[in-house]
Amino acid sequence: MSDLSPETVLRVDDLSIVYRTDRGDVRATNNVSFDLKRGEAMALIGESGSGKTTISLALIRKLPKNAVVTNGHILYQHKNKVQDVLGLSRRQLRGFRWNDCAMVFQGAQNAFNPVLKIRKQFEDTARAHGWTDKDAIRKRALSLLELVRLDPERVYESFPHELSGGMKQRTLLALGVLLNPQVVILDEPTTALDILTQRAIIDVLNDMQRQLLFSIIFISHDLSLAAEMADTVATVYAGEIVEIGGVDDIFYRSLHPYTYGLLTSVPTLDHAQDVLQSIPGSPPNLIAPPSGCKFHPRCSFASDQCQVEGPLLELGRETHLAACWHKDRLLASRKEVV
Amino acid sequence: MLNDQQPLATNRQLPATNMSLMAAQLYDSLLKIYRNYTVRVFLQAIITIWAVMTLTFVLVRLMPGNPVDVLVEQILTNEGISYQEAYERVAASFNIDSDATPLDQYFQWLGDLLRLDLGISITSPGTKVIDEIARFLPWTVFAVGSGLLISFVLGIFAGMPMAYYRGSKLDHILSFFSSFSTGVPNYIWGLLIIIVPGIAWRWFDIGALRGTYDAGLTPGLNAEFILSALEHAALPVFTYVIAILGTWMLSMKSSTTGVLNEDYVNVAEARGLKERTVISSYVGRNAALPLFTQLTISIGFVLSSGVVVEEIFVYWGIGHHLFQSITVRDYTSLQGVVLLLTAAIVFSNLFADLTYGLLDPRVRVSGEK
Repeated sequence: MSDLSPETVLRVDDLSIVYRTDRGDVRATNNVSFDLKRGEAMALIGESGSGKTTISLALIRKLPKNAVVTNGHILYQHKNKVQDVLGLSRRQLRGFRWNDCAMVFQGAQNAFNPVLKIRKQFEDTARAHGWTDKDAIRKRALSLLELVRLDPERVYESFPHELSGGMKQRTLLALGVLLNPQVVILDEPTTALDILTQRAIIDVLNDMQRQLLFSIIFISHDLSLAAEMADTVATVYAGEIVEIGGVDDIFYRSLHPYTYGLLTSVPTLDHAQDVLQSIPGSPPNLIAPPSGCKFHPRCSFASDQCQVEGPLLELGRETHLAACWHKDRLLASRKEVV
Repeated sequence: MLNDQQPLATNRQLPATNMSLMAAQLYDSLLKIYRNYTVRVFLQAIITIWAVMTLTFVLVRLMPGNPVDVLVEQILTNEGISYQEAYERVAASFNIDSDATPLDQYFQWLGDLLRLDLGISITSPGTKVIDEIARFLPWTVFAVGSGLLISFVLGIFAGMPMAYYRGSKLDHILSFFSSFSTGVPNYIWGLLIIIVPGIAWRWFDIGALRGTYDAGLTPGLNAEFILSALEHAALPVFTYVIAILGTWMLSMKSSTTGVLNEDYVNVAEARGLKERTVISSYVGRNAALPLFTQLTISIGFVLSSGVVVEEIFVYWGIGHHLFQSITVRDYTSLQGVVLLLTAAIVFSNLFADLTYGLLDPRVRVSGEK
């Protein structure tokens, strides 16, 4: 536990999560490990149902009731103190949530209690974490609302239904950083918003991160958002991190066929691409996943080895890791394409 | 096209005299008033009441027998005088104009009603219908009202854990009780209470609990009277609570279950709010909202829901009075009581409509528009 570098704010170590269902155990997260550094923005990308949200919910222990953490640790380091999030008592957990790690959920449309004013919901949050001075809460809230480019006074005294979707999303962002958390998890922060509002949210996020210096984990299937926001990108497939590395490494020198497939399924401006590729097949059944590399049934590089033996997440180059037997073949083939 | 239509339009406007212009303006402003939500629902309420009253007027007169016949029959069996003699005696003692046609009676009654005059009881001449109502009504309001409020509060507090622990043993037991409580009508509960603990187990003396308070006491703010009134009301109130409680529990359970799935509850928990805050301000408040509407509407049914129960417990409230009026075919009293029961239901609906905005800010805004 003590081998955490002072720069690391969050370490997920060999985390496995299973959903117990009537049809069997759904292995939604398998041996996931990663480190999040102070001020770092990490993107989790992958298809729907790949387990991105499960990982992030585990970080604040907000998993559904039928989920069981079967293995692993989540270490959180703040002020030279390391805690295992999975070992927190109920009371400690309540304090940890939002104060240390806030999560901005997917679709802010219903994130606010419809019968309470925004002001009341900011106050509720601050008071639950020991703030007592109403004026101090107000001051902090108004400055954050301003930071997300809203009319602070008006929004603060509004009921949620009086705000538009984009305004609610930005209000939720402001609420998310109210207590100055070290980690902010953003689950699809821009989906369900129009393109201009998306733009505004991204700018706001960049601004906020620069000023407030928190770390971000965001979940998205929007690759352009990941490219724009993230320092580090992790590709999640079938509950596993199959590739993780710096944003440029992932986007320009991806070492995993799945990441590469995701990238080529998105239209780009600077590549003269005639046909958009899609990844054949569909995400695997997580109750009875394929043997070996879970991606092999959909992979054009698959060999006999892939069907039998699952590759480990290995260093490809410097800080760039990928779980694939055929990294070199992919890189080689890619050079021909580009 | 334009050229063709232009002169036509002017032609049409030509005969527009001052009169028709004024009529149009009047129509416009009336329309504007009608478009006002409050005015509209109020008008609708008045029309509903009028329709029910007219139906009642007709129906009571279509019932077999009339007030005179009923009493004549009684006198005949008791005194053994001739039919003609008995009839004349009864007719003379009643406050009835036997020459008036039903239509005359209808308009007479409607005219009186507009002056808020409910008329005079047929079978006990000299007693105003309104005075009779004033005598019986408070007891019903007290008994059914307490039953309703107690069951509402209990239902809210029992319904929430059912939703929180749904599928658990607690939920199964409470759900079974709720369905049973809702399914069995209140008068059956009343009979059960009289027969089982009252007659079989002799926990209390049913005979002594007749009426609304012990005979010989003067109504007023003295401990003896209040205790006696509470004692007499206890069984009817208990009956109402048992009979209504299940509905509230089930409503609150389903409402809470819905709210528990809402994003804002999930987010509230992620915000690290105290469990108490989440349960009360986030789950409870939103879940109870629709129940308040239901409560305001049920207030209307307060008066009518206890008719049979009051008869069973011989509790002298408005239901008991209605029952007596039907038995002796006292048309005016009947009409008066039915008017009251109808107005209560219609106006409580109206009240629910108009006050929901006070509780739910989302409705408030659209209501103001």
